[in-house]
Amino acid sequence: MLATVFTKSTLDRWRGVIIAVVSLGLMLLMAMAVYRDFDLAIYDQLPAALREAMGIPEGADAAGLGIGVLFAFYGAMTMGGLAVSIGASSIAGEEKDGTIGILLGNPKSRSHVYVAKAVAMVSLIAVGAVLLWGATYAAASLLNVDLGEMNVGAYSFHLGINALFYGFLAMAVGSWTGRRGLASGVAAGVMVLSFFAVGILPLVENLADVAKAFPWYYFDSSQPVVNGVDWGHIGILGGGSAALGALGFVGINRRDLRGKSVGVTLVDRLRNDPRTRKLANRLAGAARVSRIWIKTASEHQGLLIVSSLAMFGVMGVMLAPIYAAMDETLLEFTKDLPQELFAFAGAQSGNMSTPEGFYEVESFGLMAPIAIMVVTIAIGARALAGEERQRTMGLLLANPVSRTRVLAEKTATMLAYGAVVGFATFAGVSIGSVIGGLGMSIANIGATSLLATLVGLVFGAVALALGAFTGSQKVAAFGAVAAALGFHLLTSIARLSEGLTGLGRLSPFHYYLTSDPLANGMPWGHGLVLTVILVALIVASVVAFNRRDLRQSG
Amino acid sequence: MTDTTIHTEKLTKHYGDVPALVDLDLDIAAGEIFGFLGPNGAGKTTTIRTLMDEIRPTAGTASILGMDTHERSVEIRRHIGYVPGDLSMYPNLTGRDTLTYFANLRGGVDWSHVEELRDRLGADLDKKVGDLSSGNRQKVGLIQAFMNKPEVLIMDEPSTGLDPLVQREFQKMMREVAAEGTTIFLSSHTLSEVQRVAHRVGIIRHGRLMTTEAVADLRSKAIRTVSIHFTEPVNASAFDGIPGVREATSLNEHVTLSFDGQMETLLKVVTERFHVLDITTQEADLEEIFLTYYQDEEVNA
Repeated sequence: MLATVFTKSTLDRWRGVIIAVVSLGLMLLMAMAVYRDFDLAIYDQLPAALREAMGIPEGADAAGLGIGVLFAFYGAMTMGGLAVSIGASSIAGEEKDGTIGILLGNPKSRSHVYVAKAVAMVSLIAVGAVLLWGATYAAASLLNVDLGEMNVGAYSFHLGINALFYGFLAMAVGSWTGRRGLASGVAAGVMVLSFFAVGILPLVENLADVAKAFPWYYFDSSQPVVNGVDWGHIGILGGGSAALGALGFVGINRRDLRGKSVGVTLVDRLRNDPRTRKLANRLAGAARVSRIWIKTASEHQGLLIVSSLAMFGVMGVMLAPIYAAMDETLLEFTKDLPQELFAFAGAQSGNMSTPEGFYEVESFGLMAPIAIMVVTIAIGARALAGEERQRTMGLLLANPVSRTRVLAEKTATMLAYGAVVGFATFAGVSIGSVIGGLGMSIANIGATSLLATLVGLVFGAVALALGAFTGSQKVAAFGAVAAALGFHLLTSIARLSEGLTGLGRLSPFHYYLTSDPLANGMPWGHGLVLTVILVALIVASVVAFNRRDLRQSG
Repeated sequence: MTDTTIHTEKLTKHYGDVPALVDLDLDIAAGEIFGFLGPNGAGKTTTIRTLMDEIRPTAGTASILGMDTHERSVEIRRHIGYVPGDLSMYPNLTGRDTLTYFANLRGGVDWSHVEELRDRLGADLDKKVGDLSSGNRQKVGLIQAFMNKPEVLIMDEPSTGLDPLVQREFQKMMREVAAEGTTIFLSSHTLSEVQRVAHRVGIIRHGRLMTTEAVADLRSKAIRTVSIHFTEPVNASAFDGIPGVREATSLNEHVTLSFDGQMETLLKVVTERFHVLDITTQEADLEEIFLTYYQDEEVNA
C-alpha cells in the first residue's frame, strides 16, 4: 500500500519536475551565455549586503553569475512552487477531488498514506535538485565555461531543502484543514513574503538581523555556491520541515475527513444567522449570481483583496519609510553601478539613490507584475478551462448565452481586477511618496502602474487563450506562469547582451520598464504594443473557444 | 404529435479515428417523450452533447424547433431545459443561488413555479450544492431544467441518485409537461422509467441507431411467458408445431410456454385438446426486450 500510494503520487507529478528542470536548464544556458561575454569586474566592487540582496556570490565569474541569478530567484521560486503544489495536493487535494474516501477504504491507516505522500514529495524535489545540479554541469560544458571552485551541489542541496520547507508547510496546512486552496495560498504567500523580506531587510539599518526570522534567509544567505553546505542553516530548514511534517501527521490523524464538501466561510455563517441574513444575502446572495462577470468577480474576491492590499500597503505606502530609513551610503553607491546589474530585479534604473530607482527595483520590478499576474492568471485559467474541469460549462452554456458572451464577461472581470490591483499599486506608491516627501511624479507613478497592469493582463490573457485552445486548466495556469518566467528572463538577459536586443523585443516585459517610465513618464508606444498583444490574445481566445468541442472533464 | 421538434440527419461524430456516433437519423415529434436506450459507451451522451452544441458533428446536421443546433444554438437554448449526464454544479453556491444564476441568464422564470417544483421534489435549496448528496443535487438540476417551462427537455440519465418516491414524482412531472406539449428527449438506464413514461424508444449501440419503435409495438412483438394449469398432466411435446410457441416446459399439470404469436390461435388449440383450469400471461417488460435485443445482437455480431 505504502509503495502503491508512493508510486502513484510520484508518477502523478514527475512530469512537472522534468518540465521545471528542463526549463531551468535552458534558462541557465541563456544566462551563462550572456554573462560569458560580459565585463564582470564591476561585481567585485559591490558591497556585500547589496550583492546578497541580488543573489550574487562574491568573486563570481560567468558561471557563478548565471547560477546565482538563476538559482536565487527563478530556480528557488520554481522548485518552491512545485513543492507547494505537491504538498497542498497530497492530502487536501485528495479531499477536494473526493478520492480520499476510496483511498482510505483500503486497509491502511491515514498515517501510512500521509507518510507515503510525504516521501513522494521529498523524492520528487530531491530528484529535481539533483537534475538541476546535473543540468548546471551540462550547460557549463556545452558553453565551455569553467565551474572552477563553485559548489553547485551545495547550492542545489540548499535549494531543494528550501523548497521542501514550503512544501511541508503546504502539506501541514492541508492536513489540518483539508483545503487545498488555503494550503497552497498560505505556503506560497509565506514564500514570497519571505523572499521579499530577506531581499530588502539587509539594506535597512538596524533591521538586518530581522531577516533571520524568515525561512528564505537560510536558503542562500550563507552563499553555499562559494562556501559549501551550511549545516547550521540546513539544520534550521530541515528541522522546520520535519516539525511541519510532524504537525501535518498529527493533523490528518485528528480531524474528520472532508467529503467532496465545501468549507463554511464567514459569509456562510452570516447568511445562516437570522440577525445578519438580510445584509449577508444582499452582499453575497442573489447579487453575486446576477451576471456571469459578477459571479466570476465574487469567486476571486479573496485573491483581489490580498494582492491589492499587498501592493497598496507593503509595496506602496510602507516602502516610503523603509526608503527613508535605509543606509544612505549604500544607496549612494548604487548610483555609480552599471544599470545592467539590476536587470534581473526587473528594473531599468538601479540607481537606488533616487526614490524612483528604489521603487523600481523593490516594487515595480518584480512585485507589481507578480501581484497583478496572480490575479489575472487565476481568473484567466479558471475562466473557461476551470468551468470545463468542474464540468459546469455544459450547464452554463445550456442557457441562452453564446460562448463569446461567456468569454467576454469573464474577460471583463479579469480586466477589471487587473486594473484594481494596478490602481492599488498606483495609490499606495503615490500616498507613500507624499507621506515620505519623496517627490515622485504622480503622473509617472500612474504611467508605470498602468504598464504593470497591462503586462499582468497580457499574461492573464495568455492563460485565457491557453484555456480557450486546450480546455485544460493546468496547461492554462502553468503555461502562463512559464511564459511569464521565460519572457522575464529573456528581457533581463537581452539587456546584458547587445546581440539579444532584437530578441528581447519579443518579450512583453520589454515594453514595461525599458523606457524607465517612473522617471520619464508614459511611453505611449510601449503601452500601445502591450494593448495590441492583449487584444490579439483575447480575439484568439474567442475564435478558439468558439471552434472547439467542450471537454467533458478536466 | 405531428410537428417535428428534434430532427437529425446522418449525424456523425468521430473522436479522432473512433466513431462515437454514425449516421443518426431521428425525428421526434412535439409533445413526445422519446426514450433513448443503449449500453454504456453506445453514443447516448455524444448525441445529447451534439444536440446541445457542446461538441460539433463530424458530419450531418441536427435541428431543434426547426433551428440548426450550431448556427442558432443560443436561440434554441431559450426554449430548452437540460440535465447533463453526471451532473456537476458550482459547489460553493447554494441551490437557490444556483437557480437564481441560471434564471438570470435565461430570463422569464416564474419563481413561484420554482418553489412549486422544490416542494414536489422535496429539494433543499438553502444548502451549498457541494454539501448535498448526489440525489439532492440531482433535484436542483431537475428544477433548473423545468423552471422556465421549456418547450424541449433534454435529459441525460436524469434519475441518477433519486429515491423511488422522487423518481415517481419526476415521472409524473414529465408526463404532465408532455401533455402540455413539451417534447422530452430522455436518455436513461432506468428502463422501468422509460417504460412508464416514453411513447417511443430508440436503441443505440456502437454509435448506430438499431431501431426506433413505439413502446406498445415493441411490447407486442416481445416474447411473453404463458403459464397454463390443466386438470391432468400434459407433456410439453404436445405444444410442438403450434405457431408462436418457442419453448415449452412441463411439470405435471403445469406447462410454461415462451410465446410470441397470436394469443387467439394458442387458446383455440389448447382448449380443443385439453381441459384448462387457469391461464396467466406475463407481459415482457422493456428490460427483457432490451436484454433480448442485445443478446440477439451479440449472437448475430
